[in-house]
Amino acid sequence: MKQMGFYFDQSRCTGCYTCSVACKDWNDIDAGPENWMRIITIEEGKFPNLSLAYLALACNHCADPPCIKACPTNAITKRESDGIVTVNQEACLGKIECGAKCLKVCPWDAPQFSATINAKMRKCDLCVERLKQGKQTICVEACPMYALDVGPIEKLQKKYETNDSAIGFTKNNKINPSINFKSKI
Amino acid sequence: MSENNIENDQDDIKIVNTGCCHDCGGRCTLKAHVKNGKIIRFETDNGEDPQLRACLRGRVYRQKVYHQDRLKYPLRRIGERGEGKFERISWDEAYEIVANKMKEIKEKYGNSSILFIPGAGNQGMLHGVTPVGLMLNQFGGYTRMWGIPSYEGALFASMATYGTMMTGNSREDLLNSKLIILWGWNPANTIWDPGTPLMLAKAREKGIKIVVIDPIFTDSAAILADQWIPIRPGTDTAMLNAMAYVIITENLHDKPFIEKFTVGFDKYKAYLMGDDDNTPKTPQWAEEITTVPAEIIINLAREYASNKPAALMAGWGPARTARGELYSRAANLLCVITGNIGIEGGYASGFMRAYYSRETVSAGRKKKTGPMNKEDQKEMTKKKTPRGNPVDWGAPPRKDSLYKLRGGTNPASTRIHFNEYYDAILQGRKGGYPADLKMAYIAAENRLNQYCNVNKGVKALKSLEFIVVHEQFMTPTAKFADILFPVNTFMERNDIAVPWLGSPYYIYLNKAIDSLYESKSDLEICKELALKLGVEAGLLNLPEDQILRIFTSPRKDIKSYDQMKKDGFYKVKVDEPFIAFKEQIEDPENNPFPTLSGKIEIYCEHIAELSVPNMPPIPKYLSHEEHYDAPKAKQYPLQLLTPHNKRRTHSSLSMIPWLEEVEPHAVWISPVDANSRNINSGDLIDVFNDRGRIRIPANVTERIIPGVVVVYQGAWYNPDKEGVDLGGCGNVLTKDSHSPGGAFPMNSALVQAELYSKKETEGVS
Repeated sequence: MKQMGFYFDQSRCTGCYTCSVACKDWNDIDAGPENWMRIITIEEGKFPNLSLAYLALACNHCADPPCIKACPTNAITKRESDGIVTVNQEACLGKIECGAKCLKVCPWDAPQFSATINAKMRKCDLCVERLKQGKQTICVEACPMYALDVGPIEKLQKKYETNDSAIGFTKNNKINPSINFKSKI
Repeated sequence: MSENNIENDQDDIKIVNTGCCHDCGGRCTLKAHVKNGKIIRFETDNGEDPQLRACLRGRVYRQKVYHQDRLKYPLRRIGERGEGKFERISWDEAYEIVANKMKEIKEKYGNSSILFIPGAGNQGMLHGVTPVGLMLNQFGGYTRMWGIPSYEGALFASMATYGTMMTGNSREDLLNSKLIILWGWNPANTIWDPGTPLMLAKAREKGIKIVVIDPIFTDSAAILADQWIPIRPGTDTAMLNAMAYVIITENLHDKPFIEKFTVGFDKYKAYLMGDDDNTPKTPQWAEEITTVPAEIIINLAREYASNKPAALMAGWGPARTARGELYSRAANLLCVITGNIGIEGGYASGFMRAYYSRETVSAGRKKKTGPMNKEDQKEMTKKKTPRGNPVDWGAPPRKDSLYKLRGGTNPASTRIHFNEYYDAILQGRKGGYPADLKMAYIAAENRLNQYCNVNKGVKALKSLEFIVVHEQFMTPTAKFADILFPVNTFMERNDIAVPWLGSPYYIYLNKAIDSLYESKSDLEICKELALKLGVEAGLLNLPEDQILRIFTSPRKDIKSYDQMKKDGFYKVKVDEPFIAFKEQIEDPENNPFPTLSGKIEIYCEHIAELSVPNMPPIPKYLSHEEHYDAPKAKQYPLQLLTPHNKRRTHSSLSMIPWLEEVEPHAVWISPVDANSRNINSGDLIDVFNDRGRIRIPANVTERIIPGVVVVYQGAWYNPDKEGVDLGGCGNVLTKDSHSPGGAFPMNSALVQAELYSKKETEGVS
């Protein structure tokens, strides 16, 4: 089985949010708490010795996703063919009824809920429909800095000199997230 | 269409190749997915390099087109000006009122009483202000402005030093530099052509050192640069001059270059050495002023002079100050004395435009630049010229303009500086202005918000007899209209966008959807209003596409108009990267610089002749009445900056929810200044001076130099009953004046800050 995943060049990311906004436009998500692609700002130091890095995180489609185990209704599954983790909306109990168990176990807040009452969990599905059509994900095609890539994780590792961690991201070996980095040193 | 014709959802979607054309430094590709006449989502350029990928400002466009607050019908004001109370009227009625009033004003006061307030908030080659200008010309003309807020200081300096705006190199040439200095420039957020931040990242990956000088730890400083040098606002000229001092005293300047290509070096050197004022412009002298340690100034000067070729790129922001052109001049001269002009990997700074098809390729119609000869000057002051604005006909040049140079200067003395409109409205000819102004025709311009001294603007706009506004939203300016025309967006019409900084490409904005509600394009409005005004609509009567073909016909670089229309863009193939002044350096005999002397003017004789106070012919460092060391700083000790951020294009897109959540509006204040005022992040604070007061949350951040507050420009003015602006519009605090060279002092205002109320969650404890 191949495992699809992300490559993120943190040294290039200017925190412009274009990937995040393009994701919201493509998937028709209102402004609000639901963010499939999140931009995390890591700011350190005191004036004038400062450092700032951004981290663009969607769903890492982990090798061993804790959200699947946490879901009481088996609404989350990992596709055999490409390892993409998807949600069955109909099976999801909703944020209030369930207590968002998937979100609680995810180290990176990938499971997302809209502002509606008892919203069903939604998250990055790695643009499965676009991939099927031979296109790239909307975030990869949006990035003005070409700092994002999506593909079989082995191929990404061959294509780039990769690192399994970055500023603000520590690898979790147990669940093995499908993301590789070029870290901002 | 019957349902049987639709096989699946995908077949029902039409993809329209269009783009975005905000007034940022980019013009980018958007592919609109349209279903049942409605845009459902966008993609961007995924074709051949260089791709013109839209940033977040383009990707949000659906939330603008379908925003609930779009102006839907023509409106007539029924409340006070500024109150925002309007009633719906028909287009016919709106045209009738405007035409009658305009005729009456023309009859009573003459055409010069009509003030045109054009903007770039809704633009393109054909829409926005273009048809309004054409219509008003036909009507007998109008009083117009000189001075552009973005860049007037940089433009003046570029003309004075080099005689032209065409001073930029292609972006890919950055890869040939050994050192890149971004001075007061944040291309990661401000998009100076879509590929700029990417090219800077590639340069850095190649091992080229990048240094950012900026009072703010911008995204460019944080991500694209190796070194950030924070500097006190408005003191850039001092640091640049100190760098020149180091370079000259350490004999690192390019003497053969200076000898061959420049005039006036000795006079600049004499100033730097302190021959006239007994103050050598040493790094220690500059440290006192700039707060940049002398050691850092010395090192950067040595690095810049000894790593040739090096690119010093002087942003426009530090030139939006009360002595703006002097900063730009000083930056230009640093490029000059190190001989970084006309060579690969070097950079001339200046205005920084790299490409302009009408100048470079129009066979036989090459646009003239450089000094005017006697005949040209006569032509300019002739009684009648065949086209243009009749009110300007025969006007002698302004005494403070570089009127002997061609291109980039707007010397007609009938014009009023754009930042002095309010004073001109309130005072007219009695105040020394060229006209008594009675009505304003405002198009694509959130004037009140985007120019200095909003509260004075309120008084001025209230004093006019009549105001017409073309708008998409009920902006703070639109609230002052007597008649408000609802305008469509660039998704609802055909147009062409030209990158104003001069990358070699065009965007064809194909119409994606029909105009929403009763909105119309500026072109349609002007065509119909022209009829009522009883003037020839002329060109305006032709279909959009035909006019666009006429407009683009002189541009010989567009090899196929039809291909451009089909693709939604046209990327011009160029043989080699542009290097400004390559010809002048390689073959000076046949290619003089387009200045009066034919050389680069370190000392500018034209400026000297004008003899305007605070406009020295060499770039001296000068203070002013709202500088950190001015007496006023005792009362208002903080310097205000009003730069651009990533979540707006000027005041456009201020209403977009997807952008508001990216960066909620707040005053940036350093912990040093916040602690002494009992301010924490999230507290509501007041920033104020004699001109006004704004009240918005604080963002206490290490990312700015102490002594400075930052209010990112473009948030909408929203006064409460006491006149306190709850919207947080920085221009409530800025001064409605200009530098001697025409620069707008958006970054030269002294203010004070104080706590208004603690953040609610903390208020309990």
